[in-house]
Amino acid sequence: MKSIWALIQLEFRMEMRRKYALGGAFLYVLSTVFIIYASLQNFKELPWNALFWIVALFIAVNAVAKSFASEQDGTQLFLYQMASGVEVILAKMIYNTLLIFVLFTLALLAFMLFLAIPVMHYGLFMTAIVLGSFGLGIVLTFISSIANKTDSSAVFTAVLGFPVLLPILLSLIKLTQASFMLEAESVGNDIVILLAIDTILVGLILILFPLVWKD
Amino acid sequence: MIKNWWKYLAVVLILYCIVVGIMRPLNPGILQVTPISFQSGTTQELIIGTYNTNFEPQQSIDAFIKINDAYGIQNTKLEVLAPNELKATFDIPAKLPNILKRQGYSLILSADKVGSFARPNAVTIVQKDLDLDGAMAAWPSNDFGNFKRPEKLNFPFRAILYESLRNLFYHVPMWFGMTFLLMGSLGYAVRYLMTNKSSFDTISKSMIQIAVLYGILGCATGSIWARGTWGTWWTFQEIKLTVSAVTLLLYFAYFLLRSAIDDEAKRARISAVYNIISFVAAIFLLFVLPRMVESSLHPGNGGNPGFGGEDLDNTLRTVFYPAVIGWTLLGFWLAQLTYRTELLKDYFLEKYD
Repeated sequence: MKSIWALIQLEFRMEMRRKYALGGAFLYVLSTVFIIYASLQNFKELPWNALFWIVALFIAVNAVAKSFASEQDGTQLFLYQMASGVEVILAKMIYNTLLIFVLFTLALLAFMLFLAIPVMHYGLFMTAIVLGSFGLGIVLTFISSIANKTDSSAVFTAVLGFPVLLPILLSLIKLTQASFMLEAESVGNDIVILLAIDTILVGLILILFPLVWKD
Repeated sequence: MIKNWWKYLAVVLILYCIVVGIMRPLNPGILQVTPISFQSGTTQELIIGTYNTNFEPQQSIDAFIKINDAYGIQNTKLEVLAPNELKATFDIPAKLPNILKRQGYSLILSADKVGSFARPNAVTIVQKDLDLDGAMAAWPSNDFGNFKRPEKLNFPFRAILYESLRNLFYHVPMWFGMTFLLMGSLGYAVRYLMTNKSSFDTISKSMIQIAVLYGILGCATGSIWARGTWGTWWTFQEIKLTVSAVTLLLYFAYFLLRSAIDDEAKRARISAVYNIISFVAAIFLLFVLPRMVESSLHPGNGGNPGFGGEDLDNTLRTVFYPAVIGWTLLGFWLAQLTYRTELLKDYFLEKYD
């Protein structure tokens, strides 16, 4: 537990040391939303939903793709000696989930600032954002660890990640769509499915990551 | 036990599927009725075009317009125009025992030596004025509804599908075969991770190759089928097409990942790990998400992508299940051949390199 906390702090400190990465993500959100604002004056819920998740997906991929790439061989070796694989991946998953959640919230604020927001049930929408950042965080963290074994890790994070993320994204899109409706739809099934996918993936990743990590 | 018995079984089952699946005819059915709509209280001559029938001029044939379970109108005259065309004359009473002004009714044909067959919503009868009680009093409650099933064990006649029904023995087994091959590949990926034997990795990869081939063939056969029945080669409105395309993407990414890593042991380990993760995603894509949507064009629509009941009757089952087993076994055979080709390639590379 203690080492996981230390690893999360390490991640955070690394992030702070490279402020340009985080700043880049913030600017990415703002410029995308501004382009949408400039090109579309008034639009309906469905395009809003589509654009929100496209922006969200790309922010998440950009933020997490460097998760393993930034570590030099020396850091890897040091971590390998100091902590177990399970601890490393848990710390990275928790950190990336939090990072993606912050970025998603920021994207939501930017959407609110520039574009009229059609959300009726904020509780449901925030549930979708929390579940989404959790799902995207764990999958992208693991996929980026796989992609890091290739020469072009950024490309492979997107290529390998997109089909694996699709079941999660489809359920998320349904959730946010339901949050636009005046009358609340029953979305219990979708939430259960999302939680099921996330749980199964976390379990598998904890088993599989040590195999990816040892080199 | 004969060596390689399952390969002989695969050949026999696939030959059975091809021969019986093509040769066994469809049951007779009604293709079209003209005129399709008329008023009550008239005498109507209906030209009935049928399929897979061989009517003879002296054959005794009865035609009925089914109003509901208790009432039907029988023909007054019937003439055989051609082996697949009839002219039936009906006296339609002015008042029908039905509270709807305009409704489609089924047409039922019953012929000796053939059995009976029907077309739902074949004709629409418009009533001028409604009088349910008067109609009920005037109509004799006839012994309607005592029909024999078609005598031969033929495939069912289904409107829209017609002869393309036989694609069931090719399209659906492809997806079964793909799923079983993916499971096999998953098993060998896990075994590789436990033992680090490089042959398990090659087997796992060969199975995915054949699984992807089956997936592509499943999409192709489905696409041809969709063109004939839905009127389009491909539609993203239909969830099953979307998820199968994404599943294929998942495994294309697998091959891309393999090609990007040079070190053999590392490639085997990483791709085995990705295989396990993508199998979980594939299960959710193929088996969970289609059950979450309300509508689907595939049979058993409305939340359940499986089929049964009306869509798969016993005569179809006699060919469908053997076809599933046969094509699956053939898939594993093909995977074995791919694996052996791979071994030979390695052998010759080592020998002459």
